[in-house]
Order: sequence, then structure tokens, then C-alpha cells
Amino acid sequence: MHKRKVLKFSLLAGILCSSMTTLALADEVSTAKVQKLIDAADAARKQAAEVGGEWRDTGKMIKKAKGLLKKGDFVAAAKLANKAAKQGHLGYEQAMSQKELKLPSYLHYE
Amino acid sequence: MKQLFRKLTLLVMTCGFIASAQATTPEEDLAAFQNFFKKRFPNVETQDYINGAYSIDPVGRENWEAIEEFPPYEPFIDEGQAMWETPFANGKTYKDCFPDGPALAGKYPHWDKDKGMVMTLPLALNNCRKANGEKPMKYKKGPINSILSYLSYESRGQVTNVVVPSDDPKALQAYEDGKKFYYTRRGQLNFSCAHCHLQNAGMILRTEILSPALGHTTHFPVYRSKWGTVGTLHRRFTGCNKQVRAKPFKAHGEEYRNLEYFLTYMSNGLPLNGPGARK
Ligand code: HEC
Repeated sequence: MHKRKVLKFSLLAGILCSSMTTLALADEVSTAKVQKLIDAADAARKQAAEVGGEWRDTGKMIKKAKGLLKKGDFVAAAKLANKAAKQGHLGYEQAMSQKELKLPSYLHYE
Repeated sequence: MKQLFRKLTLLVMTCGFIASAQATTPEEDLAAFQNFFKKRFPNVETQDYINGAYSIDPVGRENWEAIEEFPPYEPFIDEGQAMWETPFANGKTYKDCFPDGPALAGKYPHWDKDKGMVMTLPLALNNCRKANGEKPMKYKKGPINSILSYLSYESRGQVTNVVVPSDDPKALQAYEDGKKFYYTRRGQLNFSCAHCHLQNAGMILRTEILSPALGHTTHFPVYRSKWGTVGTLHRRFTGCNKQVRAKPFKAHGEEYRNLEYFLTYMSNGLPLNGPGARK
């Protein structure tokens, strides 16, 4: 009787412990994953900046994503990082698509 | 025919890479720019564009004329005069750097051949301070606006006359870079300066009438009611970049200096009337 109780308890504790470690492990994996997304976003931002195409809020979004990651809000952090990366890519493409100056057609040259 | 020839030579020189790129000279740009406004607002005298949106907005103009009777920028002029006259710690003054001062605004921006860059008045003022062991001023807000108010006031009536010297290809490049900046779409809203201040000049954006680009540089620094103080041209550039959700550039960094060079050139022939007052 007594023995069975101990067994039950240790089993329960075991399950609890192992699930906690998996949770902690999962945390680490998420942190690394989201950190990668943030790094990618920052690289995209820099690429846009180098051609003068950085958008206003990209840097702020990356900063905010970093804060969310610190707080363990992985989903929100990842979402924001992806949004920032997209802005970086778009800003870069925007600048590259206008590499050559095109004067507007409403300006009339004699 | 001559123009065609020039375009052809350029095409050959660039190995035909960019058939679509237009090679236009600063003089041709100026004519096209000013003619655009002549056609767009046939009743506005060219000289009146120095008054910004009020050149095309009669209602706003009345309000503005009332404001100009007791100009909100006046205290800044007085403050600036005191700055101009007060010696630095080493006993020298601004006048030692600028013997032609204080009516200096008409000389800027100009191409500085030795430095190989566009020299703006605020940059020259800070260079003077640094040479005399003083801390440079911030470029957008604060005391720089007072001394600029004084210098512009003293320069009233001088005529915008920016030169792109033909003996230095780097000067033309700086001008071209400024021009490129002006016509380039930027930011999340994908607007260029020209979209608002050429194509849509006279239209209403939220509560403001979009002012014509012609005359944009004659009246700075400007007292803006929204700011509640006087602000510099590069502060305005910053605001307009942010408006389209583009990251602004550094005040008096290369991009904005070249932009100022081009934009001021486009107002060649217009008198200076700073400091100004705007909504
Ligand atoms: C989305 C539209 C928009 C774009 C794009 C834009 N501006 Fe503006 N700009 C405004 C508005 C609105 C004002 C305030 C009302 C006015 O004077 O036009 C203003 C004011 C200004 C003024 C002050 C005019 C005065 O009389 O004091 C300058 C100079 C100026 N803009 C330059 C620029 C430059 C240079 C760019 C490109 C970097 C630019 N703007 C892009 C909307 C725009």
C-alpha cells in the first residue's frame, strides 16, 4: 500500500520533470529559431539601407521583436521579425527597380 | 538636332546600356521645371512661388498675411544677431570665418571644389565653430535656427543663383544625385518628392495644400505653427521622408546636401525671403 503510493508519486514527479525539461528545451529551440528570423530581418533592413531604400519603421519593428523574444513571446516576435524582413526586401526592390532615373512625362523638355 | 547628337554620343559612351535614361543638362531641367508650373498655374507670377502654398491658395494667404504682420520668427532673428556678434571663447567671431557676412544665404548651397562636396550654410557655420574650438550645433532644432533666421533676414532680396560648375564633373554628379533623389519613390507609401510637390501640387493632403516645389528653398528657416518654432530645411526634408514612411537621412549628410543643391537650383532666379512663416 505504502509502497504503491511512493511509486505513484515518483512516477508522477517523473512525468512532470520530464515534461518540464522538454518545455525548457522547446524554449531554447524557439529562442534560436526566432533569433534567426530577427537576424534575417536585420540583414534585409541593412541591404535596403545600403541602396537608400530603408523604410521608416523596419528598425523599430526589429527592436520590438527583440523585446518580445526576451519576454518569451515567440509567436509575436517571429511574426514581427517576418514583417520587418518583408519590409527590408521590398525597400531593397523598390530602390533597385529605380536604379535608372526616369523623369516624369509631365516635364516637357524642348 | 544638337540635342539628338548629344543623346546619341551619350548612348555610345555608355555602350547603349541605358537607352531609356535621359541625359538632360541642369539648364534644361530648370526650364522644364519652371515651365511645368507656368502651365499648371498660369495665373501665378513666377516670383510669387517664394510664398509656398500661399501662392496658389487665396484663403490661406489671407490668414498668412495677417500672421506676417507680427512675424512669429522675429525673436529668432534678434537671438541670431546676438549669436553672430558674440565672440567665441577664443575671442573670434563668425565674421572672421565669413568676412562677407551676415548676408550670406545667397551664396549657399555651392559646390566646394577643394572639399569635393556641396557646401551648405549650416555646414559652413558648424565648420567655423569647430575651427574655433566651439561645439557644433544640431542641424534640425535649436540655436541653429536663430542664427539662420538672422542670416536669412539679412539676405532678403538676394537672388537664388546656384551654379553647377562645368569644370568639375563631381559637381554635376552631385547635382544629378540630388535630382535622382527627388524623383525616386521611397518608403512604404511609394511616393517621390515630385509626386506631391509637382504632380499633385495644389491638391489637398489631409488638411494641407501641397505646395509647389518651385520656391521651396527661398524662405528657410521657417516658423511653422505645427512645430511652434523655427525649423531648418533639412528638418523639413526629414518630415517629408517620414510622411511616406521612408527612413530619413542624416541632416547635412551627402544625400540631403545633394538634394538641397538640386532643389535650390530649380529655384534659380527667385529672390530669397527668409525666414518664412507657414501653417
Ligand atoms: C505625401 C506627400 C509629400 C511628399 C512625398 C513630400 N512632401 Fe514635402 N510637404 C508635404 C506637405 C503636406 C507639406 C506641408 C504643406 C506644404 O507646404 O506643401 C510639405 C512641405 C514641404 C516643404 C516646405 C514648403 C514650405 O513652403 O515651407 C518642403 C521644402 C518640402 N515639403 C520638400 C519635400 C521634399 C524634398 C520631398 C522629398 C524628399 C517631399 N517634400 C516629399 C507633403 C509631401
